Formats: sequence, structure tokens, C-alpha cells
Amino acid sequence: MKIFWILLLFSMFNFAGENVKNFAQLIPKKVVDWEAVESDRSYNRKTLYDYMDGGAEVYLAFDFNQVFVRKFLGPSQNEMVLDIYDMLSSEEAFGIFSCDRQDEEIGIGQDSEYGYGLLKFWQGRYFVTITAMHEEEAAEKAILELGKIVVSHLGPAGRKPSLLKCLPEKNLKENRISFFHSNINLNNRFFIASENILHLGRKTDCVFAEYQINDTETGYLLLIQYPDEPKAKIAYESFLKSYIPEAQKTGQAHMENNKWTKAMLLKNMVAIVFEAPTEQWANEIHLSIKFFLR
Amino acid sequence: MDKIITRRNFIAGTTLAVLGAAMGLSQEPVKKSRVVLIRHPEALDENSRIKEEIIQQMMDEAVMRLLDQDDPISAFAKLVRPGETVGIKSNVWSYLPTPPEVENVIKRRLIDVGVKEENISIDDHGVKTNPIFQNATSLINVRPLRTHYLAGVSGCIKNYIMFGKSQPEYHPNSCADLGLLFKLPMVKGKTRLNVLCALTPQYHGRGPHHFSRRYVWNYKGIIVSQDPVAVDTIGLRLIMAKRREEFGKAQELPPVPKHIEIADVKHGIGISDLNRIEFIRLGWTEGILI
Repeated sequence: MKIFWILLLFSMFNFAGENVKNFAQLIPKKVVDWEAVESDRSYNRKTLYDYMDGGAEVYLAFDFNQVFVRKFLGPSQNEMVLDIYDMLSSEEAFGIFSCDRQDEEIGIGQDSEYGYGLLKFWQGRYFVTITAMHEEEAAEKAILELGKIVVSHLGPAGRKPSLLKCLPEKNLKENRISFFHSNINLNNRFFIASENILHLGRKTDCVFAEYQINDTETGYLLLIQYPDEPKAKIAYESFLKSYIPEAQKTGQAHMENNKWTKAMLLKNMVAIVFEAPTEQWANEIHLSIKFFLR
Repeated sequence: MDKIITRRNFIAGTTLAVLGAAMGLSQEPVKKSRVVLIRHPEALDENSRIKEEIIQQMMDEAVMRLLDQDDPISAFAKLVRPGETVGIKSNVWSYLPTPPEVENVIKRRLIDVGVKEENISIDDHGVKTNPIFQNATSLINVRPLRTHYLAGVSGCIKNYIMFGKSQPEYHPNSCADLGLLFKLPMVKGKTRLNVLCALTPQYHGRGPHHFSRRYVWNYKGIIVSQDPVAVDTIGLRLIMAKRREEFGKAQELPPVPKHIEIADVKHGIGISDLNRIEFIRLGWTEGILI
């Protein structure tokens, strides 16, 4: 019986270690008039630094497992790079996709966007980027064609993080919702503090959302789920002390730019509204959070 | 360090006061650092190709003004002497490297001053094993200005990370202690000039490699200083101004650019207080932003 479990464990790790390399057989080496060059490469959590200069930590803050990389050359010797990231779960794949959104939906995978030679989408446990660095307009056809081919090999759709269900829906910008765990992702999305004053880490789930207040103003909601209530309380008190020390009792404060910040603790969750134009608006957002739905 | 820089400090403009208080430093004015920004409308052609002859003019004028000299040879002679061994620390990041044209004009002036060509080397990843850098008596620090996932801004301070034992060693806490690089034996006291290329700076990053051409603009500038902290302080202000223009006030900050202030108040390698920086603008002013 012991040998059975050892073999099962080995096969699981082996599968996880090998699966992105399987894409080498599945993805064609010629797309439109672009052809694969160099050898395919793959990187894991230990070797990702060899591939990314400074960006690796952003991926390592999620359950990133491996990435498959293939380079193509186009007719003008321009380069197009395909990256397929195995994030181990659909929630994590959505998360890494959601932290960096600015373009229009293009209809590939579960969510996608394309702009200026960069296609991004997620499908199931995979997050995919296809990038051309020069003459983006000429590369667009090949990028989108390759994206459609890749998505057909990624398996069924997966679910989004359940924490998203808590978000108030009124005036929510659907394509500006981000899911993540760590301080590095929060600070890339919306800088709050130089230190990790909210005690974020791999075991915290965070949603950051934008709300259209009027034609010119945007409000922000950060929702954090901690592993337990004591950890949430410590983080809440740390935030008050470091960010709004004048609000130890009320949890809300009037900022130097005439906006409001309001924090709230409920069991193992912390909700913070930033850039609220009025105290009332911050209160309304807090009261609309559907804590019971997660 | 007990104090924390928050979004509120940037809104209120009190980051240096926070760090200074944390370090127990006084806020009394001391010696100023000079930073020169020079821009030229024809530094790039219509295809964004760099015109080396214009870059030479810009570099000469900027360094002359930086050192109060009337001709470029005299200016560079204030930086290095004949017979020296000089390493030009460049940056080879493939998406936005140090332009060869900028490297060329610096090297040309070093030779004009009397440094032998065989005693000059331009390198990035290989600096620790490069004999010229190992024996260098002077260093010139030159790289493009861009945003960075961890450090907030990649400037002249971060450019020395290749002198470190390992890069990840300097990544913790948002690269807070990059200033320590300037205290390494191979580097300490040798940097004569810091050149921040703002010809096509990058004000935001996207995608796996934090680069998209849409966030690069033709600013056509070069920023020089003998102080790596001061030159990065001005670079950060330029990035913030561009982000404010493109994204609005709420998004003007790239992530946690605290290593610049910390290089000043904790490591003492330069000045990050704008009140203590003599900022000189030369040349083209359209769209100058700062």
C-alpha cells in the first residue's frame, strides 16, 4: 500500500513537471507566415528568474508551476513569443490575468484582451500571453490565429475565485477587477504602502475593484480574506495604525486630497474603500458588500 | 527603520520627512547636488532612430553645464584623467537597452581626454569578471529610464545590481537597499558620472516582461549628474508626471519607488530631497513635464 502511494505521488509530480512540455507536440510550428525558431523552453518556480528580469516575483506570488515558451519569426524577421503558464488552478490563472488589464475583450478563452501586439487570455488553469515587439499591426493576424489554436488545447473552462461574488455590483467596472494574494501585486495595482501593512501573503485572498462614481471620479474597494479571524484583526489594526492613525475608533478618515478612506473588519475579512468622494459613498459601498456569498 | 511610506505621504509630499525621521536625521539643508536635463527635438528621427551627432551635442552641453566648463574635453577631464582605466556600466535589457549611440559618445570623450581605448570597456552582465571593470579607477553609469515591477523605477542606482553577489539578494522589500551596491569594493568612490537616458523612457510596464511599446514615449532627453540618487529622483518625477498625464493623479505612482530615498537617508550615497537638488533644464522645452 505504501508503495502505491509513493508511486501515485511520483506520478502526480511527474505530470505536473512534464505537462507544459506536452504543448511542444500540440502547437504547430508554423502559424500564418510565422515559423518557430530556436528550441522550445520551459521554466519552473526555481528557474523563472532566468526568463524574467524583475517580473518573476509577480508570478511567484501566485501558484505558478511552469511556463512553456516558443519563439516565432515573421516575414520581416520580427519576433513573436508564446508563453503558456500553468497556474495549477483556474482561480490562479484568472488572478494573474486580472492583475494587468487595459485593453478590449477579443473573445479568446474565458477572458482575453488584445492591444499593441500583446494578447492575453486565461482558460482553465492556464494563462497565456502572445507578444510581438515590433510592427505590431503586421503581427496581429498571426497573434490572434495562434491564440485560437492554443486555447483549443487548454481543456475545459474553470471557475473564478468565489471572493468575487462579494463585490457590490452597482457601478462596478467588470474589466477592472483583480484577484491576488500578495503585497507585490497590490502595489503594482494600487500603491498603498512601502511595507506589508496589511499582512498579505500566499494564504490571503484579495480582490481589488474599481467603481465609476461619475464621469471623472473612480473609487476603489479592496477586499481581503484572511485564513482566520485573529489574523484579520491584526491586519486591520496594522492598517489603521500605519495608514489612518486618526481613525482608530471609526475606521474612516478624510485624506489630504479631500477623499475618504474607510476600513472595516468583519470576522476573517477586511474591506477598505479608497478615494471615496464622500463619507456616505464609502459607507454605501461597505454596506453593499455581500460577505455571505463567498 | 520603523516608519512606513504610504500613499498618503506621496499625496502630501512628506516621504523624505518620514524617512529622515525614521533615521534620526536632521532636515537641515546641506550641500546640493546638481542635475542637468537636456532635450533636443531632433535627437530621434521620424522612425525613432537615434541621431548620434545630436546625442554628442547634447551630452557635451549637459556635462559642460554640470561641471561649469566651456568645452567638452575640459568637462570630461574633470571626470577622468589620462591613464585611467574606465568601465562604462551599460544596460543590455533587450526591450530597452542603453543606446549604443549614447555609449559611443561617452567613449569618444574619454578617448579625447587621453584614456587609452584598450583601457575602456562597456559591459553589463559581465562586469564582475571583466578585467577592465576589475581594475577600473573610474566608472561611468549609463542606462535608460523605465518603470520596474519591484523597484518602481529602474534608474542609475539599480543599474549597479550586476556588481552584486546575486540579483535576488537585492529584491527583498521592494529592492529597498539597492543603495548598498555603491558601497561594494568594486564600485565604492569610483562613479564619476551618472547618465539616465530619457530619449524613450518607459512609464508603465505590462505583460510577462513588463514591456509594451505603447508605454514608451519620445521624450528626447538625457539626464546627467554626479549623484546617482539625485539623477534617479529627477527620473522618478518625470515618470510620475507622465503617469499623471496618461492615467490621472490616482495612478501617478509606480510601485514603491522607496529605494531612491533610502539610498539617501539610510545609505548616504546621494541626495533625494528636491529642495537640495539644483535642477538645470537645457534645450527643447515642449512637453518637458518637469
